[in-house]
Amino acid sequence: MNGWLVAATVVLGGGVGATLWGVATGPLRRRVVAQNLSTALACPGLLLLAQGYDRPAYVDLALVLALLGPVGTLVFARLLTDELADDPPRARGVTWAAAGLGAAVVVALCAAVGPSRAMAKLLLVGALLIGGNVVASRALSGGIAGVRGG
Amino acid sequence: MADAVVVVTLLLVAGSATTAVVVRDPVRQALVLAVLGVVLAVLFTAVQAPDVALSQLAVGGALTPLLLLLAVRKVKRRKGRER
Repeated sequence: MNGWLVAATVVLGGGVGATLWGVATGPLRRRVVAQNLSTALACPGLLLLAQGYDRPAYVDLALVLALLGPVGTLVFARLLTDELADDPPRARGVTWAAAGLGAAVVVALCAAVGPSRAMAKLLLVGALLIGGNVVASRALSGGIAGVRGG
Repeated sequence: MADAVVVVTLLLVAGSATTAVVVRDPVRQALVLAVLGVVLAVLFTAVQAPDVALSQLAVGGALTPLLLLLAVRKVKRRKGRER
């Protein structure tokens, strides 16, 4: 068991476990934020697993999750507009904390693989992850008029 | 010791699946199901089945909640029209 797998276990157990608690309890606005964070934390976990198992092909999973996670959150933002309109979620702090964790993981992995095509792919995953989650978080808190409109 | 990832993700799957059963409101259930889909995909990765995990990500992360929420919306609209 190497360090990457230990880090993946900590991220998955601590981070995703906490979002599971958040999605199980509390008001609806807290639950949608926790659902968004669960994808934002599972993606660095998958990246760490790919490095820990020494299988670069597993990075594709993190890429797909970085693409589809914000899509899932946007589904909730669009279809729960009425429920969230009078009590909009505010989650700037945790969103940036999750984005920072993702950036730290991507930087550590880039340092591990060195300059190559794999590094470009990792940077793409990181950019998609952080950008997608910031956009999804803004859509949840009503920052994007198009999503709120329907 | 190398199985720690599998154990942790198995516990997460058990926890989220139990939560999905216990929560009664369909909208909140859809949220829990989305988390369950992502956690299941991580479990499949941990047991070296990335192909299954790929389809699980697409289906569990976005498609299942979308279908559930659309169904809830339609039922609510029909109820509103009957009143």
